[in-house]
Parts: sequence; C-alpha cells; structure tokens
Amino acid sequence: MRKMKGFLATVMTIFLSLPLLGAAQRSPSNSEIVQAANTFLASLSTEQRQNVVYAFNDATQRARWSNLPTGFVPRGGISLKQMSPPQRDAAMKLLATVLSPMGLEKLNEIRAADDDFKANGSRRGPPGGRGGPRAAGPPPGGGKGPPPRSDEMFGSDLYYISFLGTPSTTNPWMLQFGGHHLALNITIGGSKGVLTPTLTGAQPAAFKLNGKTIRPLGRESDKALALLQSLDAKQRQQAVLNYTVADLVLGPGQDDKKIAPEGLKASSLNAAQQTALLELIAEWSGIINESYATARMSEITADLSETWFAWSGPTNGEGGSNITAYYRIQGPHLVIEYAPQHDEPANHVHTIYRDPTNDYGRALTTQ
Amino acid sequence: MRPGLTASIGALAVLLAQSAHAHRIDEYLQATLLSLQEDRVQASMRLVPGILAAPSVIAEIDQDHDGILSESEKHAYALRVLNDLTIEIDGAGVLPKLIAWHFPTPEQVRDGLGEIQIEYAVSVPSVGANRTLTLADHHLSRTSVYLVNVLVPDDRDIHIVSQRRNEQQSWYELRYQQLTAGGALSRTPAPEREARGTWSSSQFRSLFDLGMRHIAEGTDHLLFLLALLLAAPLCVSGSRWGLPASVRQTLRRIIGIVTAFTVGHSITLALAALGVVRVPEQPVEALIAASILVSAVHAFRPIFPGKEGWVAAVFGLVHGLAFATVLDRIGLVHWEKVTGILAFNLGIEAMQLVVVAAILPSLMLIGRTRAYPIVRIGGAVFAATAAVGWLVERLSGMETPVDKIVNGVAQQALWIAVAGFLASLAYRFPLAYRTRSAAKPEPVFRD
Repeated sequence: MRKMKGFLATVMTIFLSLPLLGAAQRSPSNSEIVQAANTFLASLSTEQRQNVVYAFNDATQRARWSNLPTGFVPRGGISLKQMSPPQRDAAMKLLATVLSPMGLEKLNEIRAADDDFKANGSRRGPPGGRGGPRAAGPPPGGGKGPPPRSDEMFGSDLYYISFLGTPSTTNPWMLQFGGHHLALNITIGGSKGVLTPTLTGAQPAAFKLNGKTIRPLGRESDKALALLQSLDAKQRQQAVLNYTVADLVLGPGQDDKKIAPEGLKASSLNAAQQTALLELIAEWSGIINESYATARMSEITADLSETWFAWSGPTNGEGGSNITAYYRIQGPHLVIEYAPQHDEPANHVHTIYRDPTNDYGRALTTQ
Repeated sequence: MRPGLTASIGALAVLLAQSAHAHRIDEYLQATLLSLQEDRVQASMRLVPGILAAPSVIAEIDQDHDGILSESEKHAYALRVLNDLTIEIDGAGVLPKLIAWHFPTPEQVRDGLGEIQIEYAVSVPSVGANRTLTLADHHLSRTSVYLVNVLVPDDRDIHIVSQRRNEQQSWYELRYQQLTAGGALSRTPAPEREARGTWSSSQFRSLFDLGMRHIAEGTDHLLFLLALLLAAPLCVSGSRWGLPASVRQTLRRIIGIVTAFTVGHSITLALAALGVVRVPEQPVEALIAASILVSAVHAFRPIFPGKEGWVAAVFGLVHGLAFATVLDRIGLVHWEKVTGILAFNLGIEAMQLVVVAAILPSLMLIGRTRAYPIVRIGGAVFAATAAVGWLVERLSGMETPVDKIVNGVAQQALWIAVAGFLASLAYRFPLAYRTRSAAKPEPVFRD
C-alpha cells in the first residue's frame, strides 16, 4: 500500500512537472536569441549591417521611437521593406525567438492594422491609399524632399529593426523593432531581458481580415473593462477619476518619469480582482518571451499591493468591443497607460508600457 | 464644430487622408508635469497643437506673420503662456518665472508634430509644512485639452497628500507636505540621506500632528469610544443599567476602555502600515460603523457588562486598520515607517486623551445624577443613528446626510463639551452658589 502511494506520488510529480519542462524547453535560451540575432545580421550586406547596428551608448537612437508613422518620424535601422525575403525571414525568426507567441501575434496584428489603414483609411476620413498632394507644407523635420506618399507612410512592411551594441550572451545589447503604433525596446543583459519602454497602438483597433474581426489590443480593452466591472461601488469610486485624460501622460520622450499614482490601490482588491489585474498587465509584460516575462511578472506581483488602477471615461461597455475610456496601471516599477485617441476613440488607441526605474534596462547596464 | 472648420470640410478630408488620423487633430494638448523641490515648484509644459489647431497657434506665436518664428517671438509667446496661468500657493497668487523654452519649426507645428516646451518655476514662500498649490491654465482654452501631473518628489521630505482637478484638468490643486523647512539636511543629495536615514524632529512633529488631526476629524473613531464610555459610570442591574458605580470604579473603567482601545488599534496600525497585514478598506470601514452601533446599543442596555475593555480592544484592532490607510496615502517609504507609525500613533493617543479629558469631568459629575439616563440614552440614540447611516453608506455606496450632521456637531465639539461641563456642574451642585449652608449633596440616583 505504501509502495503504491510512493509510486503514485512519483508518477504525479513527473506528470505535473512535464509542463514545466515543456515551458523551459519552449522558452528560448539566451544563446538561442544571440544566435538568431547573429543569423539575421549575417544575412545582411555590409552596408545594411552598418545601418542596422548602433553603438550601445547611442542615446539618440535609443529614444528614436514614436507612435507616429515612419514617414513623419523616421526610425533608425532598416525596414522589412528594405529586406530580401530571406533577410525578412531571419528578422521574423529573431522576433519569434525574443517575443512570446502572444507578443508576436500582437505585433503582427498591429502591422495588419496598418495595412488595413493604408487600404481603407480612417473610418471618419477618406481612404488613405490615394496618396495625393499634401495640403500642409513639406514633410516634418523641415526636409525639402517630395511629400511622402501613403505607401511610404503606412503598411506592414514599414517596420524597422535596429540594434544597439553587439548581440552577446554576456554584455548588454538592445534590439528595437517598430513603426507606426509600435515601438519595442528590448534590452538584453545576461539572462535578463527588459521590454520597457514599449509602445503598442492600433488604428483601426478593430477591423476585418479575411472575414475575421481582428482587435490587436482587444484583450487590453476587454480585461480592463471586466476588472472595472468587478469593482464594488466603493472601489469603483476610488478607481474612476473625475477628470478626462486626453492622451498618454508618459508617452514617447517621457523616459524615467515617475508620476504620483492615483485611483484605486490594488491592496484593496480581492484575490480574484488582483489576479485579473495581473492578467491585464500580462498583456504587456508577456509580449517578451516567457523566460524574461516570468522574472518581470514576479517583480510586478511582489509590488502588487503598491500598484494602482485608475480609470477615466465611460464605465459602461461590452466585452468584445473596444472601450473608449483611458486607464492607467502604476506600481513602483510599472506604468501602463491605455489611451483611446480623440479622433476615433473606440478605433484608435495608444498604449505605453514602462518601468520608470528601469526604462531601457538601465538597471541591467549600470550595475 | 468651430465655424472656421465647417468652411473647410474639403481641406479637412485631404488633411485627414494624409496625416491627421495619426495624431491630434483639432486640439491643443497642454501637458504639465510638476516637480516639487524645497520651497520651489518647477513645471515643464509640453504644448502640442493638433494639425487643425496649428494655424491659430502659429499665428499666436508669429506675431509679425512673416512665417518665421523669431527668438523674440518665441520668448514673447512663452511669456504669454505663463501670463495665462493662475498659480496660487495657499490661496495667495504667485508669479511663474520662465526658465527655458524650446520651439519646433513652423513646418513641424503645421504637421501636427511640433512640441513646444516651456519650463517655469514658482518659489514657495515658507508657509509651514502643509502646502496647497493650485494651477489654472486659461491659455487658448477654447481648443485646448490639458494634462497635469506631479512627479514623485526626489526629496524624501516632501510628501504628496492629494490631487484634485476639474473635468478638463484646466484647474488643478495639489496638497503636499514639506516636512523640513530648509537647512543643510534637505540640500544633501538624496542617496546620502537615504543611507543615513535621518529622521528629523520636524518630520516626527508633522506626523504627530497628522495623527492628532486624523482622530479629531475621524469622528467615527471618537464616536465609538465615547459611546462605549457612556455606560462607564454605571453598575448593571439585571438587564438594565442601574446604580452609579463608585468614582474609583468609573475612573478605572474609563482608563481600561481607553487603554484597551489604544492597544488594539496600535497593534493593527503597526501591522498594516508595515505591510504585514493587508485588508481591503471597505469592510474595515463598514465594521467601524458596526462597532459604533454595538457600543451605542450597549450604552442603552448592557449587552457585555464588564467586558467593555475587551470589546474596545477587539474593535480597536479594526479601527487601527483604518488609521493605517492614512499613512499609506502619504507614502512613507520603508525605513521611515517605524518612526512614522510611532509619531502618528502618539498623535492619535494625544488627541484621544484630550477628548477623554474634556468629557471626563462632565461624565463623572452628571453620571451620578438622576439626569444621566437622558444624557446616556440621548447619546446612544445619536451614535446609533450615525452608525446606521454610515453602515448604509459604506455597504451600499448610497449618500446619507450622516457625515454632514456628525461633522457639524463635531465642529462645535469644544462648545458642546464646555456647555456639557457647565450643565453637569450646575445640575450636580444646584445649591452651591445659592447658599453654602443649604447645599446638600444631590441624592444619588436610585432606580
């Protein structure tokens, strides 16, 4: 009988740890990431490589990201458009290694939204695909060149990849990938990977692709709304701010800033609500691959009682369609903002994900 | 839609097709970040005109309409923006001082990409630890949207207390505490101070005051205690309150109840403030209301005679949890906490003693008279009504007038206490000032 129990326990232990082993295997190791990066870099011509690799201490390139189209705010590095098919494959392979499957899906849906935008334009404006003369002066930056055309402005191929420093398993380096409504800033140092600051966004934030509705940031909307609706009257009274928030407070350019938190403190959430909050945060923290995300999530979980949730805007809504309200999640090492844009609130959203104490993995690199 | 816009729907369409959808359109975003320093507040404004707001903003800057933003035009515009701000410290107007400004090219502004940056500062006259700053922005208010936030202070002596805004954020109020006023300590770079972990006497004092204020304004805590004390001068007789207890007995009971309440709330205040226990606020607040109801009922009919101390201690545990949320809000960091809790708790105890000392003589005097049942039952009914109101409010989120009424009464607390004392004095010694020889002690109240 006792033998039986021991045997059963062993079987159960092995059985239960299988998923863990599986997860450990699925999560790419640091050397695999470096290898994927080197494979991509090796596929480039010398000239391309020069354009794609910056010095690790290049502060300008580090901060050269935006929610705006690349035609307005040029990015560093080279775009998918400038790559040959094998180079593009190597780039996507690298992203698939660094990001989680969820993160890669999000990235691709944001790119697909930009394709949709290029083809169909804004719901409230005419189609954007027509090009046409620019009504308002020369392109930004005081450039004298011809005005950018729409196919130089939007589309899933206008996403740029760049490196700061050389991919290494020991020394810190950075991978950037971004374009319109996307800026991933990934700093890797040893076994640690930091995703902050990262910007996601979408316009359209809900569209049809091959007959299927795509909402690149749909879970960010649905999970937040569900959390809000799970609050009781008193919690809600604290969480819902009595003023409008027109845009991201800590958007591009606002690195390392720590604003005084407002709203509802997560210490007054019940266990289920706390779990819901963590799952909402995971929509950002989980963009990067699991081995990095797990470490980040335990940091966020440890901070939970000092984490705040604030909401501004309509509190009614239905899961499955995008909220038009702004919300912010803020903890000692975390800022998340979800900001519907004034022109098309339910269909145009910008979000930011930061660690004001560790934007660009500064804590990794200054040790 | 503004009249200027309707005229140019066609132009709008072209604009939209090109770029407007990517960023702001007809709004002028004015985002301010405040940073609190010793006796000074610095502000950085980011002004981002949307693509349709841009022409009017450019016209505002480019006063000679030559299409170029000259240095003097930029400077003048920055000053004009500051001129459109109303800033007050503790209700007195202060003038912002322009520190720096940065302008994009007119082309960038026209594309809706330009970001004007203006830095300014206001000096805060030394006005004590508690400060209130208000900021109203009237600049191009017809087209503007506003964001105002405050950075977490680098200076550990500065604590943010509260922020309020109107719906558009064009009006903003910040309350904060500056715990040390000047001195070399505050000028030492933060990391060094962190390492030393100095806790100055003024910080201690400030938290002590906060504790006193909290209990003085926290009428629910006091009401619980007072209701519990109502029956202290009496002995139980059957299922009712009967004979007055001896003076010594009454005193011993009052001291016991107050001490037990103190022990109870000190324990949980410390545990919660140190983060050992975490309890959601709402049930705590509701339990506090319930505790008042229990002590009010007890003042009416004894339900736990002789065990008042235990009840005070147990409910004290609940009240302590609520005290902790105050400390939570002013954001003490870890190493400050122990001293902070001590200072805050001592403040609470001090104020509690003041209140008890204020009513003790009256209670001792009138507690032994025939009139006492009126006082006791009146008090019990008042406390019970307030408790029920708060319970409803805290459980359902419904608004009741209880807070207003109780606070109104509490504001007159000093006069009520004085009047109560005089009345008890007059009742207890009715003949004392008529004729000394005729003064007989009031026959003790017998049921």
